[in-house]
Amino acid sequence: MLSRSSGAAAPYAGGTDLMPRWSKGIAQRPESIVDLKGIDELKGVSSANGEIRVGACVFMSEIAADPVIRSAAPVLAEAGGRVACPQIRNRATIGGNLCNASPAADTAVPLILLDSALDLASAAREVTVREVPIADFFRGPGSTSLAPGEILMRIRFRPLSEGIFATWDKFGTRRAMEIAVASVGVAVKVEAGTVTHATVAYGSVAPIPLRGRGAEAELVGNPLSAETIAKCEAAAQEEIEPITDVRATEAYRREMVGVMLRRMLQRAERA
Amino acid sequence: MQNVLDKVELGFTVNGEPVKLRVSPLATLLDILRNDLELTGTKYGCGEGECGACSVLLDGKVVNSCLVPALECEGSEVVTIEGLGVNGKVHPIQKAFVDHGAIQCGFCTPGMIMATYALLEANPSPTEEEVKLALEGNLCRCTGYRKIIDAVLSLAKGGAPHG
Repeated sequence: MLSRSSGAAAPYAGGTDLMPRWSKGIAQRPESIVDLKGIDELKGVSSANGEIRVGACVFMSEIAADPVIRSAAPVLAEAGGRVACPQIRNRATIGGNLCNASPAADTAVPLILLDSALDLASAAREVTVREVPIADFFRGPGSTSLAPGEILMRIRFRPLSEGIFATWDKFGTRRAMEIAVASVGVAVKVEAGTVTHATVAYGSVAPIPLRGRGAEAELVGNPLSAETIAKCEAAAQEEIEPITDVRATEAYRREMVGVMLRRMLQRAERA
Repeated sequence: MQNVLDKVELGFTVNGEPVKLRVSPLATLLDILRNDLELTGTKYGCGEGECGACSVLLDGKVVNSCLVPALECEGSEVVTIEGLGVNGKVHPIQKAFVDHGAIQCGFCTPGMIMATYALLEANPSPTEEEVKLALEGNLCRCTGYRKIIDAVLSLAKGGAPHG
């Protein structure tokens, strides 16, 4: 339907972002909408060959409660459980969260920590699926590498391996219904006093949810000392590109990313 | 735009009663409840999922009815504030809100009560923190939160919060 409509039909999942945009006239209402929740392949969480598969239409309330996700990637369950409020979490889907491509998308940062792969499906003549690493999926605010007529089918990742300390947090100006002013996620492994694995990601501080390659480089191969943490913090503040908007200033976001990252690494060091 | 689209048949259950009506494809569940079914207990607050005044249960889950296209409710079960009391008697959650003075202007109350209902179904004895999290999507502009939280906690302490 999406392929045949040549752009007149819009894919639709939970509608928690699209419905207000359409009703308030922020975005033009499409001629028709295609409810992806009717497609079985886009539902459910499963585990096979050491890989977790999450359908694009899995609701945030399911992400938060699913036993497979809670055990394999508690950091993702935590983020899913802190999206907006119960009413929204019962409707909003993880696929919608990613495809809207908000720099503040709560589940994007944990999925970057998990090095997720996204399966994009299209059905011009027959169904074809291509894999895109999550790092290549976001192009800018509201923009993704989805081609016209293509949809996000599922998200795949491997469980966090033994000994990895992974955490995610967002900071907002209030506790309820907060859209992150800044969010940070960290996954590190320390062996014999040295960091052997590090993944860092940020939300709301760049045009896209951003992987922190610079911060990671300061961690790997070094002890999780105060000196390393200070260097990592500086690298993070260097590589992010925050802006000033209604929720916070650029300088405040930069400061908060440093604070959150430092506290997470200090917790990792004690863990 | 609404009048150029043909109405579509919709069949679902509202407060236990099967309902069949013809609706605009652009209508939200909230539009249908208030305008077609005249169940005006469910309120239109912000229309964008921020305030929770339009909260109802859709197949047992609390949702913002302003964000749900009506046609998505085909075959579903919807419960509104009008569906809670039995035989003209208020529901225990409604009584607790009255007893605790948890109602000032009353506009947020139906949504607060539906969110409370969903909470207590899932977790009959919530802590204060759990109550706050369950109601985080419901705004009260009279700022009566303290009394609302007390009302919900009084049900938790009772052991069998609602029947």
